[in-house]
Amino acid sequence: MSVVDELARAGGTALYLQRNYDVLRRVVADSLRRRGLLLEPLREAVSRHSWVRKLLWRALPREEGVGLHGAFLYVPPGLRIQAPLTFCFVVSEAEQLVHNIVVVDEGSEVLMTSACASTERGEAHKGYTEVYLRRGARLNYVMIHSWMRETRVTAKTGVEVGEGGSFTQFYTCLKSPSTLTSDSRALLERRATALLSTLYVASPGSSTTISSTLILAGEGSRGEVLARAVAVRGAALRLPTRIEARAPGSRGHIECRGLQLSPDSRIETAPILCSLHGGSQLTHEAAIGKISEEELYYLMSRGFTEEEATSLLVRGFLETGIKGLPKVMRPQVEAVLSILARKAVG
Amino acid sequence: MGPNGSGKSTLLKAIMGIPGYTVVEGEIMFEGRDMRDLKPHERARMGIAMAYQSTRPIGVTLSRLIRELCRLYGTSPADVSGLGLEELLNRELHKGFSGGESKRVELALTILQRPKLALLDEPDSGVDLESIRVVGKAINRLVERGAAVLLVTHTGIVAEYLRRVDEAHVMIDGRIVASGELPHLLREVRAKGYSGLAGGGANERS
Repeated sequence: MSVVDELARAGGTALYLQRNYDVLRRVVADSLRRRGLLLEPLREAVSRHSWVRKLLWRALPREEGVGLHGAFLYVPPGLRIQAPLTFCFVVSEAEQLVHNIVVVDEGSEVLMTSACASTERGEAHKGYTEVYLRRGARLNYVMIHSWMRETRVTAKTGVEVGEGGSFTQFYTCLKSPSTLTSDSRALLERRATALLSTLYVASPGSSTTISSTLILAGEGSRGEVLARAVAVRGAALRLPTRIEARAPGSRGHIECRGLQLSPDSRIETAPILCSLHGGSQLTHEAAIGKISEEELYYLMSRGFTEEEATSLLVRGFLETGIKGLPKVMRPQVEAVLSILARKAVG
Repeated sequence: MGPNGSGKSTLLKAIMGIPGYTVVEGEIMFEGRDMRDLKPHERARMGIAMAYQSTRPIGVTLSRLIRELCRLYGTSPADVSGLGLEELLNRELHKGFSGGESKRVELALTILQRPKLALLDEPDSGVDLESIRVVGKAINRLVERGAAVLLVTHTGIVAEYLRRVDEAHVMIDGRIVASGELPHLLREVRAKGYSGLAGGGANERS
């Protein structure tokens, strides 16, 4: 069975697979290619299309030493793609530095997934993704990653959401590495909306920082940052979040919740609201706690062992963070949450 | 039956093995086995299930809890179709339920555990008559399927809807002060009030 067939069978529309610096697969459904969708290695895209060069490091601060080893996706105007476009990056030796650029043109609607992973020999992955949504464009971006414990991971995502556009990002990790630093920031123009959602279970002894920033630059823009994080024994988790309102009528909300399953774990939330305009409305709520004994015993009295009950409660906790997730991705994400909940008590 | 604070719920929680309700004197025997050293989930898996006075506020959706219970006990959501839970399925348990909803949810979860002994804590308190009728019907079905039911109530209203009651007792201050046929006891309680029975009747037991 060809890759295209496999992709079609899985309901996908395009696939980009890169191991270390080698592009192993690059597939686009014919119907999309005919309508002008481009999926290319970034190096090729930069040399072919002069306008792409102008986008390099516009949505993210420039990082020295990062080459053009990554993917370029361009979605032409007026396309509605319900099935996911999938990106896979695998690091299997030393260090992998990836730079991706995604451009969704006016009025298009896209679901994009990324599946990043490492093997035991993958020492470090650094991924930089810039996303540009033009007027009225909508992008749902679901990241499901899985890292070996030894891999050091740095992920930065910079997003510009054009007027009336919409960006939602769900980030979760099936296996979390010992060291992870993630930083997502989105700048919203007039009447644009964004949701940055993180569902994370930090592995034992790991050190994790997941930052999320929204800049409400346009009048009437709205954004929400949502985080559900679980820390097991010895894990240290930092969740800095920030919403900055620069325009009238802008609204933002941060909801950050942490669950500590072990007394020697550490969770730190740092929600910052910054209003530079009197006509904006910003709110936040943050809570960190452990599983309540009353809840635990309620479930145990229904027949669940302590581990099963804890796992159910962890799953329920994480599940509250998936509002707004595209329906088509729900089964995959729910399966991930079940695995995470089991592992959290394992 | 018994007034508020007479120890009815405490008795059920002690049977269920809820922490804080430790038995300091006497035994709890179930199918010939002393239950006192068993954890709540072990008692549940032996066939004891409890419907609490109200649903505990936990962060799990009702549909997921039902799914997990069905998996654990080999039951089906269809087993509780008569309880009208459809609109409640996607609600998280910590979001809360009205009194009537809460009673139906608790009873449904109990039924899905396929209990040999169902402990029902005040299934008729603080709810409308229609909810009590629905709950009563479900209790009758539970009994028809062979479950023993230990039901506590301070109003006795649900008794009107039960087809079969083998034993009835009045409990006051942790002691059984009267026992007998349910209709007789109900008449006594209505005529004298619980305080009138507190002095002890012919069938007093501790």
